[in-house]
Amino acid sequence: MKLKTIQSLMFATGMALATLAGAQAPAPAPAAASAVPPTWAQGRTADGMNPALVPNPSPLVAKPVNELLIDKLKVPPGFKIELWASGMPNARSMTESPNGTIFVGTRFAGNVYAVVTKDGNREVKTIAKGLHRPNGVAFTNGSLYVAELSRIIRYDNIEQNLDNPPAPVVVFDALPKDEPHGWKYLKLSPDGQYLYFQIGTPANIIVPPSTHATIMRLNLKTNIMETVATGVRNTVGMDFQPGTKELWFTNMGRDWAGEDLPNDTLNRLVRTKGMNFGYPHCHQGDWLDPEFGKGRSCEEFDKPVMNLGAHVSPLGLRFYTGNQFPAAYKGNIFIAEYGSWNRSKKVGYQVVRVILDAKNKPVKLEPFVTGWLQGEEYWGRPADVQVIKDGSLLISDGEAGAIYRVSYGK
Amino acid sequence: MLLRNIKAIIAMAFFNIFGLISCQLLAAPDAVAGKTKSQTCFACHGADGIGVAPNIPNIAAQPPLSLFYQLVQFREGMRKGGGMETFSKNLSDDDIRDIAAYFSALPPPAPKMGDPVKVAVGQKITQQNYCNSCHAPQLQGQKQVPRLAGQSTEYAATQLRNIRSGARVDMDGTMGSAARGLSDEDIEALAAYAASLN
Repeated sequence: MKLKTIQSLMFATGMALATLAGAQAPAPAPAAASAVPPTWAQGRTADGMNPALVPNPSPLVAKPVNELLIDKLKVPPGFKIELWASGMPNARSMTESPNGTIFVGTRFAGNVYAVVTKDGNREVKTIAKGLHRPNGVAFTNGSLYVAELSRIIRYDNIEQNLDNPPAPVVVFDALPKDEPHGWKYLKLSPDGQYLYFQIGTPANIIVPPSTHATIMRLNLKTNIMETVATGVRNTVGMDFQPGTKELWFTNMGRDWAGEDLPNDTLNRLVRTKGMNFGYPHCHQGDWLDPEFGKGRSCEEFDKPVMNLGAHVSPLGLRFYTGNQFPAAYKGNIFIAEYGSWNRSKKVGYQVVRVILDAKNKPVKLEPFVTGWLQGEEYWGRPADVQVIKDGSLLISDGEAGAIYRVSYGK
Repeated sequence: MLLRNIKAIIAMAFFNIFGLISCQLLAAPDAVAGKTKSQTCFACHGADGIGVAPNIPNIAAQPPLSLFYQLVQFREGMRKGGGMETFSKNLSDDDIRDIAAYFSALPPPAPKMGDPVKVAVGQKITQQNYCNSCHAPQLQGQKQVPRLAGQSTEYAATQLRNIRSGARVDMDGTMGSAARGLSDEDIEALAAYAASLN
């Protein structure tokens, strides 16, 4: 009890500091006198100023169907990929209700969508507009939870009111307001008791406040929030493994440290207290940060279970729980790679498959769907994956504002 | 170093080839149609894309993608100002692409040399804050990142103050973080430096 109080005090202090940092607008001019780069540029070397590496634009509109190059998408033999829904600017995180409604969150568009299938016809409804970075979605007991940048809200009885959604109930709004890595991924625990989400680090590479670079969970009964993991730079994809009920998550490596370092990673949370994945001191489990790693050792920290490649930007992941794909796919992990910006030759822009061995160790990583990247130009960016009731796999595309469906056989 | 340059050239060549291909595949933005669709804009932004008053931005020679994004933000209510929410309300994505094609193809605004002391300070702050890493070496803008070169000093300073205070939308947090440490004097100096560039 005492520990909990201390923790929440620490949390409050950290938040106050972070908020102060955010609110202190007209600070005395350090620029002309100081050589310390602004927060957003920390960790860059001189060649990191190369204007060719400007971040990719934030997608705000959906591509018309005739600009979706579906026939460029490649799947393994026996599989088929088709356009499943479109016209949803910046469609990202997905969740499926027991009735089969797919809810879709966005980062830049401020919208939340519902995709419903009725009498064989699919319809996209925009159920919320003007939200602030509503990236996270989770569904339980007839209610849709949405994680905005600094609060979690809830739409009750949403499926009965898709054409006229109720005003949302504010569930929790004491979250930091930092824009960098402030958007959230949301995941309901298998027992339905907790909502898991991240508080990303508010920059590329800094020593974050104790509140940030964390995975948190909110107890839906008590509304108490607690830290479940630290040293996580930014995870925008989480799923619970069937059977073990462990949380597995992707984590984005830092930028400006090289074309091929450090790796983005796949991680496994084996306990809900005390795991630290190394940020900002150690990346990918075995690579000390050139600056923040000084005097530290990677042995202090928990390690990822797999390196996914540098700058591939892994977002959503799902364990394959369906019965439609061949048996070898059962229990595999699919990961959506949004694709690189901080690398001169682009990587990612694909959905990959991770195969685990009998000891639950990831042993193989291979492309599953490719083709969003043509040469050095991308036309789409996979943001999340969702195994739906019929056993097929949905892939959301945050760039094109569309969802594709991968099926096997038939 | 040489290798890096060669790599960059090859990368650019690839970019151009694929850029051309995708332009041909997709509906190409039409600057001629864009001029017709831009008639309403001229009263304030001029047919030459030069604002008719100091509080109105020069939009000539802005990168087309940056114009596209600003107009979409106005249309979607994410950014407000100058009545642009109303003017953009009924524009389709294609309309906006055409309008952007028209204004981006115009000659850039003439540089305006202001107070040389301010300009020199502005140049120094630009370097220290790595503005060029996104806004390009001469602040001419690229992709979704706006041109600052030749911009009206009053407009540029107002926007930086609005980004600093959070009054203007900050898509990924970068500009908010970049503007947070700037004083009013820094902002005036940056605006003077940007205006002096071509």
